[in-house]
Amino acid sequence: MANVFNVQVFFIVFRESLEAIIVVSVLLAFLKQGLGGASQDPKVYKQLVRQVWFGALSGVLICLIIGGGFIGAFYGLGKDIWGKSEDLWEGIFCIIAAVIISLMGMPMLRINKMKEKWRIKLAQALVKDPKDGKMGKFRIGHWAKKYAMFILPFITTLREGLEAVVFVGGVSLNQPASSFPLPVVVGLIAGVFVGGLLYYFGTNASMQIFLIISTCILYLIAAGLFSRGVWSFETNSFNRKTGGDASENGSGPGSYDIAKSVWHVNCCNPEINHGWDIFNALLGWQNSATYGSVISYNIYWLFMISVILLMLFEERTGHLPFCKNLTLRQLNPLYHIKGKKKSELTAVEKEELFHQVKQQKFGAEVAETEVNAEDTKQFLDPK
Amino acid sequence: MQILYTLYILLSLITTVVAKTHTFHWNVSWVMANPDGLHERRMVGINNVWPPPTIRVNANDRVVLHLTNSLGEFNTSLHFHGLFVKGFNAHDGPEMVTQCPIPPGATFIHDFNVGDQTGTFWYHSHTGSQYGDGLRGVFIIEDPQGFPYDYDEEVVLTVGDHYHKETQDIMKSFKTRFNPTGAEPVPQNSLFNETRNVTWSIEPEKTYLVRIVNTGLFPSHYLYIEDHSVTIIEIDGIAVEPFEVDSLYITVAQRYVVLLKTKKSINKNYRIVNVLDRDMLDYVPSDLHLVSTNWLVYNEYVPKPDPLPYFDFDTVVNALPEFDDDQFKPKSKQPLLPDPDMVIQVNFTMDMLGDGITYALFNGKSYTQPKVPTLYTALSSGNLSFHQSVYGSNTNTFVIHGDEVIDIVLNNHDPGKHPFHLHGHAFQVISRFNSDDEDNPLDFDPNNSTMTDYPEFPMVRDTVLVDPNGFLVIRFKADNPGVWFFHCHLDWHLEQGLALVLVEAPDILQKTQSKIPQNHIDVCDAVNIPHLGNAAGNRDFLDLHGENVQADWLPMGFTTRGYVAIVVCGLFAIYGIWSIYKYGIEDVSKDNSAAVISKLYKILEEYDSTANR
Repeated sequence: MANVFNVQVFFIVFRESLEAIIVVSVLLAFLKQGLGGASQDPKVYKQLVRQVWFGALSGVLICLIIGGGFIGAFYGLGKDIWGKSEDLWEGIFCIIAAVIISLMGMPMLRINKMKEKWRIKLAQALVKDPKDGKMGKFRIGHWAKKYAMFILPFITTLREGLEAVVFVGGVSLNQPASSFPLPVVVGLIAGVFVGGLLYYFGTNASMQIFLIISTCILYLIAAGLFSRGVWSFETNSFNRKTGGDASENGSGPGSYDIAKSVWHVNCCNPEINHGWDIFNALLGWQNSATYGSVISYNIYWLFMISVILLMLFEERTGHLPFCKNLTLRQLNPLYHIKGKKKSELTAVEKEELFHQVKQQKFGAEVAETEVNAEDTKQFLDPK
Repeated sequence: MQILYTLYILLSLITTVVAKTHTFHWNVSWVMANPDGLHERRMVGINNVWPPPTIRVNANDRVVLHLTNSLGEFNTSLHFHGLFVKGFNAHDGPEMVTQCPIPPGATFIHDFNVGDQTGTFWYHSHTGSQYGDGLRGVFIIEDPQGFPYDYDEEVVLTVGDHYHKETQDIMKSFKTRFNPTGAEPVPQNSLFNETRNVTWSIEPEKTYLVRIVNTGLFPSHYLYIEDHSVTIIEIDGIAVEPFEVDSLYITVAQRYVVLLKTKKSINKNYRIVNVLDRDMLDYVPSDLHLVSTNWLVYNEYVPKPDPLPYFDFDTVVNALPEFDDDQFKPKSKQPLLPDPDMVIQVNFTMDMLGDGITYALFNGKSYTQPKVPTLYTALSSGNLSFHQSVYGSNTNTFVIHGDEVIDIVLNNHDPGKHPFHLHGHAFQVISRFNSDDEDNPLDFDPNNSTMTDYPEFPMVRDTVLVDPNGFLVIRFKADNPGVWFFHCHLDWHLEQGLALVLVEAPDILQKTQSKIPQNHIDVCDAVNIPHLGNAAGNRDFLDLHGENVQADWLPMGFTTRGYVAIVVCGLFAIYGIWSIYKYGIEDVSKDNSAAVISKLYKILEEYDSTANR
């Protein structure tokens, strides 16, 4: 089962395609609300909507091709990289996958926040004046502006898609190649489906429940992966010390290090017995649990629970407990490296931004429109 | 009458004169040596010489051997393999069975009469796997009446195996949880007369008496001389009806004495080939010389044939005829002993115990050394000496009565070959079967007429191979009071506990051999081992409190620890999911509630003010 359907891959593709759909839906919402005066000319509106779809789909297509080629090439070239230290690599990949999934999971529960993020990002992209840069001197700037509604979704879906490729690669390069196609396709379909529901019905309670359930499964997987990573490291060191004799013993005595064993049952080995591999993929089941695997599983949850509590606290109060000027974002070193601090927009700046967006012209014959406060409010609150 | 009496006195005087006393002063110490020419290491030598000497005595001679341990940090001991040492049980040699280990600096005195035994025997350390480090040699008892066959020259030939590491270092990586299959250490080489590539110059048309001993630790050897057959006349010190064979299969500790008649022609030299039994090895390193070539040289001016390819086990061994030692009949025509008075049945398995180490077990018990040598327990326990429990619950000790006929039924539930050896006796091998079916080992069934179709004149020897997944039935008469070890002579398995102890006629033993030599007691004192008490060292013989026992069994499935762990994991996961749910559901309420929206605006306004500041 895990050989043809890799659950982690499914969730990553699902999550990334959901995000891509949100980008598309934000753009469509922009257009619907009269961005650049689209609402005044149904012909222009239709044209722009077509551009959005066309851009998004070509982005997806290209990254599917790139991703397929990338992973195919990797498997073609590096089949035997793992070889003897298979357990070591498996451990590394499990930990990487657990970290990636943990970082990706929580934003899924903040679909509105995600939308907001994209609304600002896209608005920023739209208002960037091509005349500011050198490119402004050339016609390409005008061309870019004309087809902005194609380029934006194209670039974003391509980016999200490549991100998915990298993540999928990261979580599962030690898995057989046959475990990819099915979860990728199913993940795409599920992401598009859920995204569509979000677009047409907005976020409501049942949708949120659905997302919560998915996220819970995602984190169960991540906890299992984390524990399995530690387990693999331990197995690797045991195998090194035994010179590989341990694996000769199947799941019986001698297949595990008794000094580190918490429980061991001579059955239900996820590496040998079919069916238990799903249990392993979803919940991190091991027929031979070690102190390392059990403790790391609990530490993972302890960590996630603390992070969630901190996030909730921060959402309510705007800062972390005991540190008035500190938020979780600021704890991320990349936050400072990328200089996010400077580019963080205040509410006023946001308002100004959307104001500008309204005045942008897209397409060939777009009439300028007045912007009023009502529209701005609508941007801030999609409802 | 007077004349007769004088004659009797004279005769006894003659026998006393003939029965010589051989006194040896042996200093056991490390000697640098390079037996296989590939690696120099220290070997255990005697009086600074390695290999140790061959002892040669006559029947009824007395041997007094002062063994001084100069190994620095290791104990030692010396066992005379195959000697019945009848009446001298305390001098048999195995540590913690009939004596204490000899600590560094101590001297242990063996003092015994070899009795009426004749033939080829050997001596070796009985301390752990120490004889693999070199403390081993050949012990020959000749018949003063002369040898029953004519021969021109006698030659002693040992085969064996060799490790580049010292055995105490090998043990560290053998009996550890990091050797989960219990794989026996694979030797680095085989030896031929304690060296390799030997050239044996012989003369044509002569008869050579060859005493062959496998002094190795582990694999059996196939041995043959190209284009020559040999006549076996003695196995394990038991004279047999002459039997001509083309090749031999010798397990460790077995001996064969053969007559070799050399050819007339001297224009060709021949290979002597000894082959390690690959089937016994856990794996075969690519550089291991399974097939070793030595030379029988008739004419040194004729080139020797090339050595056979060292790896080509199959070609060499498949060409050899089947070798079955069951066909050897003792020359004494000793018939099958009567039905047994006692049957000791043991099922042998290899299992991993709770410490992750693989042990060898008889009926679930791995031989674990008692705290008092079993002989001393038998001598000091008085009327309780027939009480099996005083010898400990983990020593596989069986008490047998004098002059009874004993059967040992050994069911081998292991897919390996095991050469078993009994101290103090040569036994009749009356039934032996093997099985290829690893999942269903063949057990002895006394009601199965094929299995109990015992030969009229069974083979008699002191070391016998048990076949994989098969069984072995041996029979002997309890005519040698003493404490006798019965164990696998594949020494790694002995280290894993593949042994049992027979306490034979302790009542007679207490009467005839009650006195432990003072020197032996001194040795015990030097290692702080009591020479009185039961297996636990207690004077209250039925109190086994504190005895040495094997590790606990491997826990099967979930133990309390496992249940607690899985419940804790479950609780953490559930609480984690509950947190995710709480976090996720907040998004909805925010989204749908007007109050939250206004709160959001309020926050935005606050931001504005901070931004404007």
